[in-house]
Amino acid sequence: MKDYKTQIKIVILCFREISKVRKFFFHIGRYFHMLGRVFARPEKHKLYIRQLFHEIENLGVNSVGIVVIVSLFIGGIMTIQFAYSMSNPLYPKNLIGLGTRDTLLLEFSSTMMALIMAGKIGSNITSEIGSMKVTEQIDSLEIMGINSASYLILPKVVAVVLMLPVLYVLSVFFGLIGGLVTGPIVGVISVNDYLEGIRWLFEPYYATFSLIKSLFFGFLVASVPAYFGYYVQGGALEVGKASTKAVVNTNILILLFDLILTRLLLT
Amino acid sequence: MIEVRNISKSFDGNKVLKEMSVVFEEGQTNLIIGRSGSGKTVLLKSILGLHEVDEGAIFYDGRDFTNMNEKTRKKLRQEIGMVFQGGALFDSLTVEQNVRFPLDMFTSQTSKEKEKRVDFCLEHVNITNANKLYPSEISGGMQKRVAIARGIALNPKYLFCDEPNSGLDPETATLIDSLIQDLTKEFGMTTIINTHDMNSVIEIGEKILFISKGEKCWEGNKDEILKTDNQTLQDFIFANKLYAQFKQNQ
Repeated sequence: MKDYKTQIKIVILCFREISKVRKFFFHIGRYFHMLGRVFARPEKHKLYIRQLFHEIENLGVNSVGIVVIVSLFIGGIMTIQFAYSMSNPLYPKNLIGLGTRDTLLLEFSSTMMALIMAGKIGSNITSEIGSMKVTEQIDSLEIMGINSASYLILPKVVAVVLMLPVLYVLSVFFGLIGGLVTGPIVGVISVNDYLEGIRWLFEPYYATFSLIKSLFFGFLVASVPAYFGYYVQGGALEVGKASTKAVVNTNILILLFDLILTRLLLT
Repeated sequence: MIEVRNISKSFDGNKVLKEMSVVFEEGQTNLIIGRSGSGKTVLLKSILGLHEVDEGAIFYDGRDFTNMNEKTRKKLRQEIGMVFQGGALFDSLTVEQNVRFPLDMFTSQTSKEKEKRVDFCLEHVNITNANKLYPSEISGGMQKRVAIARGIALNPKYLFCDEPNSGLDPETATLIDSLIQDLTKEFGMTTIINTHDMNSVIEIGEKILFISKGEKCWEGNKDEILKTDNQTLQDFIFANKLYAQFKQNQ
């Protein structure tokens, strides 16, 4: 009798897992279906271009402030931490500048900044599109005969893909400035040692690698939250939940793609 | 004229529309009435193609909308104006830009021509001095009127309104009703209004379709509705104390 009950429990558990897997594939399929609509031929190019410039300003230019602030602080913090871990007098001082530069170039300004942008830009995209969905603005576009997925999402995807590499370059620059200002003020490194360090053993491919990553991350940061917003159902509460889900899923995908791209491009 | 022929629609095995057939006449205000959850919105959204029907067909002036390819359907949609329950104006656009939006999207008119058309539409719905305001800066009644102005911007042949006077005070609601009726007559549109407001029924119901539990229950006009002997319809109408009293006095 007990065995019989255990068997039933196992069967129920299996069905639950199967339904989770099915749900996962359902979302994957619907995401690609949405992308198919997003990249369909636009109704009127002029309007899309106008929308693109609006999104570049809204999602890209308006993110410059946070990128500058975060990069300045992280650049400074990294310089102090590198100085602390390299306090052994046998290590050359310019290793501090080199460490700060390579960390910014390889990981922080691309991946960490993409994670921050997923929070800022991603939640913005989900809540904007989600609110349009629950207030029937998307239905309104569809009834007019407009491909709503393309009209709303394509300019955002293009804008973020174009702007994330720009934000990457800004982040590296201001991160280095952060180190340059903080290091000498705190007294862990001189200006000359720092400047020498950031030019020492420079590998341009690191920047190319991270710029490639930024393009992929830009696509994820715009398209995944757009998906969650576009298919939201319910009211304001559901839009909030969708925003959270969008940010979490985008972050996971960024880290997954970071791993894949690092494996493919660096080893 | 819009003809709905034997359409059925189910959601998760639950049949929401059952073999519905009806003809909505041109130049008339056609009303769909019924209790909440009776299938009014599903019927309206099915006619608009926002829900694909399981069975049956929908004809717009003889054109089979159900079996149309996406391209032809998109073209036909440019002949449709829609006023949503909440207005569904684009938050990021001003009143003027909202009305201009379909013109920007589908016409090659010059800027001046579009401006003229926008002014014409806004004047028709009695909106003045609000062109540069955003939807959040205007009242609910004004939002509905702007939505109507946007709906008629492309000179549509068909106008759909989903509960156009819900959430409005009786005076504004009557104003919206008569506005829709006047525009229907002026432009010769086929207008379909989804409502459960009895005042609208009495004011502008040139053709009324009463649905209950997804089925057509009664069809007639505003002169016939108060004299009906259909019990389900009577229960619906006279749930309102004012109408019940009116019936008693008769």
